[in-house]
Amino acid sequence: MTDERDAPELRRLGLEPADLDGHTIEQLTDYLDAGRMPADPTIDDSAGCRLALDALERLHAVTGRLMADDEAAEPEADESWVDRVLSGIVLDARSGRRIPIDSPSPVADLGITEGAVRGLVRAAENSIPGVLVGRCRLDGDIEQPGAPVRVLLDASVPYGDPISDVVQRLRAEVGVRLRAHTELNVTGIDIVIRDVRDPSSWSEEDRG
Amino acid sequence: MDVRRSSNALERADDAIVAGRAMDGDVAAFAVLVRRYTPMMRAYTHRMLNASADVDDIVQEAFVTAWQRLPELDDPAKVKSWLMRIVSRRAVDRLRATRPAVDIDDLEQPAPSHASPSRIAEAKAEVQALGAALNELPEGQRECWVLREIGGYSYDEIAEELDIPVSTARGLLARARKYIIVRMEEWR
Repeated sequence: MTDERDAPELRRLGLEPADLDGHTIEQLTDYLDAGRMPADPTIDDSAGCRLALDALERLHAVTGRLMADDEAAEPEADESWVDRVLSGIVLDARSGRRIPIDSPSPVADLGITEGAVRGLVRAAENSIPGVLVGRCRLDGDIEQPGAPVRVLLDASVPYGDPISDVVQRLRAEVGVRLRAHTELNVTGIDIVIRDVRDPSSWSEEDRG
Repeated sequence: MDVRRSSNALERADDAIVAGRAMDGDVAAFAVLVRRYTPMMRAYTHRMLNASADVDDIVQEAFVTAWQRLPELDDPAKVKSWLMRIVSRRAVDRLRATRPAVDIDDLEQPAPSHASPSRIAEAKAEVQALGAALNELPEGQRECWVLREIGGYSYDEIAEELDIPVSTARGLLARARKYIIVRMEEWR
């Protein structure tokens, strides 16, 4: 015990260095953050420190519950809120690069945007029930006619369907759409399954 | 596939897929993110500001910023913590804009009159005590604490975000922790 402490209300609860065998609450927080490694006997063997560590850990646990409660107490985002947010965004922000389309007329200058091509790729999911296309990249110099382009895309599939079949169908579907609507020289379509959705968690209403 | 079923599937898809589509310009996917994370962002902003005024504006601004900057997101699977960062930044900006000139950190904060231990149900007592203690904290301490414990910021990041020295951030956090623990002990 020393005479230097100036916060008697804290001394009573034992969070000052004199209560913590010379350690500070900051040091104890760092010790917890490091997973109590490397072990420090001057902390582990101190009754005062152990009490404070318990209080800090309890606080950490309660914090998680507080955030969960706070979030649950917030109203769900209704459609008017979603509309309000969407009304503030710029819709053509993702047009990306311009992909030329050959035209027999020398005065015509045709093209399709990268964003529109991504939309075409996403739409391939409509032909394969349950599949969702995620992010889509066009890897290559798409602004140059005939340049080789690889299509890289993420997908989500429902649980239960053989993944290799789904990937094969999706790849074929994307290829058909790109050939029909663009002049891209597609040299490969790489699909990564990022998510397998478990239908057991779906409500009856969602099935069908 | 009709629109509703497709959008239901999107509602169930994980963040990597949904945010990946939003990055590519799919507004329906972005709307899923708005529905999924509005309550979290509102709750966080409430704690950060200790008030409900401006929360809607801040969360809306955060989503607008997120839409603009989504293509910069390295990993769409991490969109949740990334959104948290954006709403944090927006909330801090709002604090900076409205910060009173006095350093109220050193002023006595009166205890709230609305809550007494006897009125708090046992199961919720600790959570409510923590909420009440946070409401009582001086704003500098509260901001540091919320950034650290809810936002997951490092000490360096807190210092940068609040434009204070790292040592000050650590000191404010230590004081916040002590105050909260003391208050929670009193309510046990």
